[in-house]
Amino acid sequence: MIRVESLEKTYPSRKGHPAVKAVDGISFSVQEGELLGFLGPNGAGKTTTVKMLCGLIKPNSGQIFINGIDLVHRRIPALAEVSAVLEGNRNIYWRLTPRENLEFFAALRGQSPARLRADIDHYLERFNLGEKRDVEARKLSRGMQQKLAIAVALISQSKVVLLDEPTLGLDVQASYEIRQLLIEIVKEQGRTIILTTHDMNVVQDTCQRVIIVNEGRIVADDSVHNLLDLFRVRVYSIKIQGQLTPSQKGSLLAMEGVVMEEESPDRTSISVRLEDSQILYEVIGILESNHSIIESIDQDQNNFERVFLEIVKGGSQGA
Amino acid sequence: MLKKLLLLQAFLKKEFIVFRRYWVNSLGSMITLYVIFLLVIGGFQGVRAWAGVGGDTVEGLVVGYVLWLFMLATYQDVSHTLRSEAQEGTLEQLYMSTHGLGWVMGAKVVAGFFTNLVLVVVLLLAALATTGVTLNVDFLSLLPLVVGTLLGSVGIGFAIGGITLVLKRIDSYTQMVQFLLIALVAVPAGRVLWMRLLPCSYGSALITRVMVGGESLVQLGLWNVAAMFFVGLIHLLLGFGVYKICERKAMLAGMLGHY
Repeated sequence: MIRVESLEKTYPSRKGHPAVKAVDGISFSVQEGELLGFLGPNGAGKTTTVKMLCGLIKPNSGQIFINGIDLVHRRIPALAEVSAVLEGNRNIYWRLTPRENLEFFAALRGQSPARLRADIDHYLERFNLGEKRDVEARKLSRGMQQKLAIAVALISQSKVVLLDEPTLGLDVQASYEIRQLLIEIVKEQGRTIILTTHDMNVVQDTCQRVIIVNEGRIVADDSVHNLLDLFRVRVYSIKIQGQLTPSQKGSLLAMEGVVMEEESPDRTSISVRLEDSQILYEVIGILESNHSIIESIDQDQNNFERVFLEIVKGGSQGA
Repeated sequence: MLKKLLLLQAFLKKEFIVFRRYWVNSLGSMITLYVIFLLVIGGFQGVRAWAGVGGDTVEGLVVGYVLWLFMLATYQDVSHTLRSEAQEGTLEQLYMSTHGLGWVMGAKVVAGFFTNLVLVVVLLLAALATTGVTLNVDFLSLLPLVVGTLLGSVGIGFAIGGITLVLKRIDSYTQMVQFLLIALVAVPAGRVLWMRLLPCSYGSALITRVMVGGESLVQLGLWNVAAMFFVGLIHLLLGFGVYKICERKAMLAGMLGHY
């Protein structure tokens, strides 16, 4: 559905700032019906890439094909296959109601609002905006505005939907609702969704595959499941009553993968990252030597945030 | 073509909804413009009395003011739209339209024309009632002349809108365009030939001949009207050309939707 080949973008120098290479020859493809997370730290080049996929930024070189159409040279036909939410809840007209927004943007994308009436009603209900269909968008909550912006992107019937930070600034409930909606839309409608986000919970919950970019280059491209497996580490969190003796601290800090924090005069927390199980026994031995009282030992869950940080850190070191 | 009509219908509906929903604001704008007119006409009559000159130029002033208003509103429909949509975050959606931005802005201008027409007609009636002058309001003759004249405003709007996309936050400079438009309405393009090449000026002179002089479109002559349209089209194309250059620059620099 999407094919990107050797894409490059360098922003020209201006006002004394040197030229910036934002995207450095990236290539990837996305299949129909795939929900892809496009991740990276700030300034990694992900927004530039997404905007090039929307035809809003011209690449210096490289090719983008949307459903087989060359976006760089045949922008308008290719854009019929793409819709996007780039500015979150700012992508809609605040002085229009949800219904009016959907009707307007349908026409803007070459659709007949009259023919889409059933679809408009469907999306209003589906996104829990039915009761607010005739309320001006400016009077809706941020979560509702965000849902409306996504509904506006979907009403165009495009095969590809690009979402830049779709859950940014939302409360837990609204963020959860949007995640569920995205999963359902991919499952039911077979659309291809690319989302960028800094919220790794969103990635872990919704994306089948992720591409991680850093300094304009792809540093990882794999399924969420594989990346979690690849970076699976066992981390134990040990809570100790009171404080450790200087000799205990010295011994623990000399061990690789041990992090210590005195939470209060009454409690010390030790995080042990296990490369092999022997390390845990050695840590417990050190604690026993001064009869420290162990309150609890818990195993931390591996999560995608840790995976992301490991990959980005690795990418930066390698660069 | 049907899709283009749907696009126009969408913009007409949006204009109407906002005009009606924010009618207090719309009314406020009309009152403000009317007060400005009173100040202009009051100042003009004061100066005329002080200088001891007479004549029937109040008619010319009414025509000039209303025409300037129409040109200003049309210019702002393009330049202000590009700026405000960038500020509000919707410009990128307009760019992603499958119609292309040229058609989108065209639909916006045509839809705005009807809203502006309501505003201009109301103010014209108010101005005529206030000054007690009579003008030849021959709609059939005026409509093509007004359309031809406004082509220049649209061209200026595209040029200024494009420059704003690249330079950003240049409001204090772009506000000067409204004074430029006054000059374009006021220049004696009827008498000085080269001034007919200026944006809107030739149309302004022809409209004055119809409204003040009582001539009809036929009396103006086909050649004059055609030449006015040609000049208007050239200005529209030049303005759009400047806009496309600026758009390309903004897209290369990745600052299309930024403001």
